[in-house]
Amino acid sequence: MPDCDYLGEFEHIVLLALLRLEDQAYGVTVRQEIELRTKREVSIGAVYATLDRLERKGYVKSQLGDPTPERGGRSKRFFRVTAKGLAAVDRTRQAIQKMNEGLDLVGSYS
Amino acid sequence: MKSHSDSLPPPRLASWLISLFVPHELSDSISGDLLEEFSALVPKSSVVVARRWYWRQTLRALPHFWAEAFRRSPWTMVPAILGGFLLHRFSSGLSDKFLAVVTDRYLAYWSAHFQAYLWLLKAVPLAHLIGSLFVGCMVALAAKGREMIAAITLALIPCALIAFSLLWLAQLWPMQYSIPWLLWQCADPLVIVAGGAIVRSVRSNPKTQLTSS
Repeated sequence: MPDCDYLGEFEHIVLLALLRLEDQAYGVTVRQEIELRTKREVSIGAVYATLDRLERKGYVKSQLGDPTPERGGRSKRFFRVTAKGLAAVDRTRQAIQKMNEGLDLVGSYS
Repeated sequence: MKSHSDSLPPPRLASWLISLFVPHELSDSISGDLLEEFSALVPKSSVVVARRWYWRQTLRALPHFWAEAFRRSPWTMVPAILGGFLLHRFSSGLSDKFLAVVTDRYLAYWSAHFQAYLWLLKAVPLAHLIGSLFVGCMVALAAKGREMIAAITLALIPCALIAFSLLWLAQLWPMQYSIPWLLWQCADPLVIVAGGAIVRSVRSNPKTQLTSS
């Protein structure tokens, strides 16, 4: 995987959700955070498939919590962004900012 | 006090699908997340809405894990499916060959016991299905953690061949194929999928996991 890899749109959104949620980031909260802020329905499958991919790239690390009764005795899997993931978020954000520079979307295309 | 949602389980079939399709390492976390949200949704809305939400989440999750399985481990999935296809091609003719050999070698016996020979003929399709079940199990064993995805992908190959041959037959001899024949053709892919489900269920069972470790 090249070091200058850019994030896909949903990867970017998921990483930003993890950064917002800090140490409370697991499947349910990540999904709800994305739904709340983007106003689009997100499936738990999409969230986990993306998190799994990001973990393989080294952008995210996961850790199992304690099993809880309201989850039928199953553990939560908590996720946190690594330094490499943070660099990827920053790189992608800068790229988007540079692409946006000088563009007046409302004025030019409305 | 025990609330209504505590005692209300999510749709069983949907939970079973999740346990079959989701990778082993994520299965517990995803099932737990879905149960947590389902339990929170029941008192807020209704059981019907919560169940519909659970089904929607399940059905929308499956294509993601399908694609992710091939993206994550293409060097396991593709050889497993190709190997399964070749094994299936090889095993599908075995029962007929076995019948031919047995008939030729013990011709005198079968002439004297014709009823037994008829039973043997009836057993040939069963042997074919057992062979397909074996292939489904082998593919699932090879695609560790993604058993159902590998088995269903393999089953889609005969499905595609059946669809193609049906279209071809329909052009040559319209309505020359019977419903039992069609059902028999569908049995083969279903048995392959059943093989995958058996291996996955055995692997997901905590008791067998404990024994194997």
